[in-house]
Amino acid sequence: MIGMITAAVVGCIGITVYGLLFGLVLQGVDRKCAARMQARYGPPLHQPFIDIAKLLCKDNIIPKNAVTSVFNAAPVIALAASITILLYLPIGSIAPVLGGWGDIILVLYLLTVPGLAMVAGGLASGSPYATVGSQREMVTMIAYELPLAIAIIAIAWRLNAAGVVDPFSLATIAQTPVWSVVGIPGIIGMLLLMVAMAWVTPAELSRVPCDTPEAETELCGGILVEYSGKNLALFTLSGAVKTVAMATLAVVLFLPWNLTWFVPLTGAAGIIADLVFFVVKVLLVVFFSVSLIRVGMARFRINHLVTFYWGYITLIGFAGLLLLVLDAVLGMGVVA
Amino acid sequence: MSRLPMFPEALRQFLKKPATNLFPARYLPKSITGFLGKVAAGEATINPPVAVPKNFRGKIAYDRDACIGCKLCIRVCPAHAIEFIPETKTVRIFVTQCIFCSQCNDACPVSCLHMSDEFMVADADRYSENLIVE
Amino acid sequence: MASKPTYNIPIGPIHPALKEPILFTFDIQGEVIKGVDFAPGKTHRGIEWMGMRRNPVQIAHLCDRICGICGVSHTLAFSRAIEQIAEIEVPERAHYVRSIIAEFERIQSHLLWAGVAAHELGFDTLFHLAWRVREEAMDVIEYLTGNRVNYGIVQVGGVRRDFTDDQFPRIYQALETYEGLVGKLVTLFLEDTTIKLRCMNCGVLSERDALELCTVGPTARASGLAIDVRADAPYAAYGDIDVKPILPDVYADAIKGDVYDRIVVRLFEVVDSVRIIRDLMDQMPTGPVLWETKYAKILATCKKAEGEAIGRVEAPRGECFHYVRMNRSETPEAWKVKASTYSNQMSWLKILMGEQIADIPIIVASIDPCMSCTDRVSVIRDGRQGVMTGDDLHHLSVEKTRRMQE
Repeated sequence: MIGMITAAVVGCIGITVYGLLFGLVLQGVDRKCAARMQARYGPPLHQPFIDIAKLLCKDNIIPKNAVTSVFNAAPVIALAASITILLYLPIGSIAPVLGGWGDIILVLYLLTVPGLAMVAGGLASGSPYATVGSQREMVTMIAYELPLAIAIIAIAWRLNAAGVVDPFSLATIAQTPVWSVVGIPGIIGMLLLMVAMAWVTPAELSRVPCDTPEAETELCGGILVEYSGKNLALFTLSGAVKTVAMATLAVVLFLPWNLTWFVPLTGAAGIIADLVFFVVKVLLVVFFSVSLIRVGMARFRINHLVTFYWGYITLIGFAGLLLLVLDAVLGMGVVA
Repeated sequence: MSRLPMFPEALRQFLKKPATNLFPARYLPKSITGFLGKVAAGEATINPPVAVPKNFRGKIAYDRDACIGCKLCIRVCPAHAIEFIPETKTVRIFVTQCIFCSQCNDACPVSCLHMSDEFMVADADRYSENLIVE
Repeated sequence: MASKPTYNIPIGPIHPALKEPILFTFDIQGEVIKGVDFAPGKTHRGIEWMGMRRNPVQIAHLCDRICGICGVSHTLAFSRAIEQIAEIEVPERAHYVRSIIAEFERIQSHLLWAGVAAHELGFDTLFHLAWRVREEAMDVIEYLTGNRVNYGIVQVGGVRRDFTDDQFPRIYQALETYEGLVGKLVTLFLEDTTIKLRCMNCGVLSERDALELCTVGPTARASGLAIDVRADAPYAAYGDIDVKPILPDVYADAIKGDVYDRIVVRLFEVVDSVRIIRDLMDQMPTGPVLWETKYAKILATCKKAEGEAIGRVEAPRGECFHYVRMNRSETPEAWKVKASTYSNQMSWLKILMGEQIADIPIIVASIDPCMSCTDRVSVIRDGRQGVMTGDDLHHLSVEKTRRMQE
């Protein structure tokens, strides 16, 4: 028992450090890639670290008419929740630290917590810009949660239909690629779900075209407009960690393969090879689903965003779900 | 039919060389003045700025010996940047005040005023030696 | 049903959506704009005051600095006014040089605007692209005039620099660059779904409203008013070539007067400017470019001049209007600058009403406002900025008339 607790504590600290560092590196990569696509050189890769260091040595300014307690608690909650998600996600071939105590449904809920914390912080900051931003963030969350849930449920359901034990556990999903249990309709369905997931990621991370809650040119930063110094640093870190979480989730759901499944590597070499492979997959996800989308489009208006996610992306998600069901019913692929 | 023409364009650009001119350095140096000091001392190299064309209007150059003290430049200077020195019958030009229109060059009957191609004239002191031409 | 409560959002005087200081106050219900008011005068610089203490040769360069983008339109309008008063005849070739520079200015100004518009929509890649493309026009201008922004090429009586034969290839090279880029720009700006989504049917100004609010330039043309000073009252060399106002129907089927139409008009004006420059270069006459090279004589002529005149120029943003009165003195007796934004800004009240918060930046930018060109007055009393109403102004006029009668 004590051994387990020690392992969990060490694991948590390790994951926290990993999440923060990798998140900032991912942000650096994203900025660099976006810059290249815009014909710029972009900042150095470690620019996010410089930014955080700068923010950490600045003062926290709390507006006069803000609700101080909520205003200060929001960034801490957001960061804590983002890190907690990572504890349930496998990294390469390393099993999740708290894998035994929660599954993908918990992750789904935890993903909303940073957003909710931002909403609370925005509403507590007493600025009209932040209030508008908070309202938009809530609407955005309502809009993208449905397609995200559909994608996750569809995959877990298909695994269940294939007779896999404990289909909602992330470890199981990571061990059993859905691609290997589905037939042709299922593959098409999975591709559709992948498209849906690729579009949910920028919304979840509040990046263009879904950065309506922050909308620099409209709301000067919306939710975050009154935040400064350490609080802003915490929110930025939370965003960075969330990037890792979303990319990892996408990798686990859609690209779960490990290098060691194909190449006979054992021990430390195997783990390192899997980690490198995992990092490559995460970078690919970030490049296509964050950098490319954000440089390729204009910002949505909030009503477009709702139409887009509730209309098109949900439809795509449902189509994917239906195809997966059809796949199981017709008995194509693996069915228990 | 929805079209997003920027996606292929952005991907193409990703593989091309960026357009930025990295002046004065690849990344922001810790201290710009420190960096420029190092460049002056020959310890660092500077990425050159985009070359200026012929006839560029940069910092003014003044040939004091040719000047006849007619004051025509003072009459046409829009920025009141030129001051007459009665003792020597020459002029003094304040570069911080100068708007680089080169109107005085055109007006000068003996062509003693010219525009050089020097444009990096920023200084913390308005009256530094570099910024007063006489 | 009781009406929903509205809340107040200030945009400005400094805000990321605004490139220059101005204060908007919005009454918002949910995300919808229910009331708009704006207060200009936040960036008054006393340009006219400075001008009235300088001679016309000096003012020509002051005019370059009224606007940061239209470096030649204001100078051209001012010079035209002075040339009329002093009866100076501008050499033919100078007219062509003026027109060519003015067209290059239109190209760079419209591309700059296109970039800003893309940025307002959150489309930064397009912003970077438009500004990168704009560099070509800036480089040519720098090559021809000696400076990128404050060209300083127009002077009372002509232009200060002639184009030499060895400069022509560079100009043609720039024109070819733009001719090659047109297709790409049109695709990226006008066929992009997200831009269409954001700009179509947004900020609509009907033709009638455009006329009643006296809008000018691309703002008016996007609503279907065929007005263009270059065609209506040709100046410089525009009378020698074919200039027609560009209306949105060059690309779209119907004229709606929305933000999208304003993008269409500006992009196709860039295309048209390239064509105009080619035409001008083809028939450029030879000869001197300045009426008198001795500045003492120009100054003396201006000093002897008496009378008043107006100079009108089609700046990239619309009609730019200068009124000058000279009365046998070194400096003008009166100088009044009316920039195009002054005519266009009242349309904001109309086109912002009923739109969403998200559309404020792009709608405000869609008339291509230039506040520092427009701000001619700022009322400050006891350290506080006030607003002058029509009654106040009437009262002041009556007082002044009384003072003059005494």
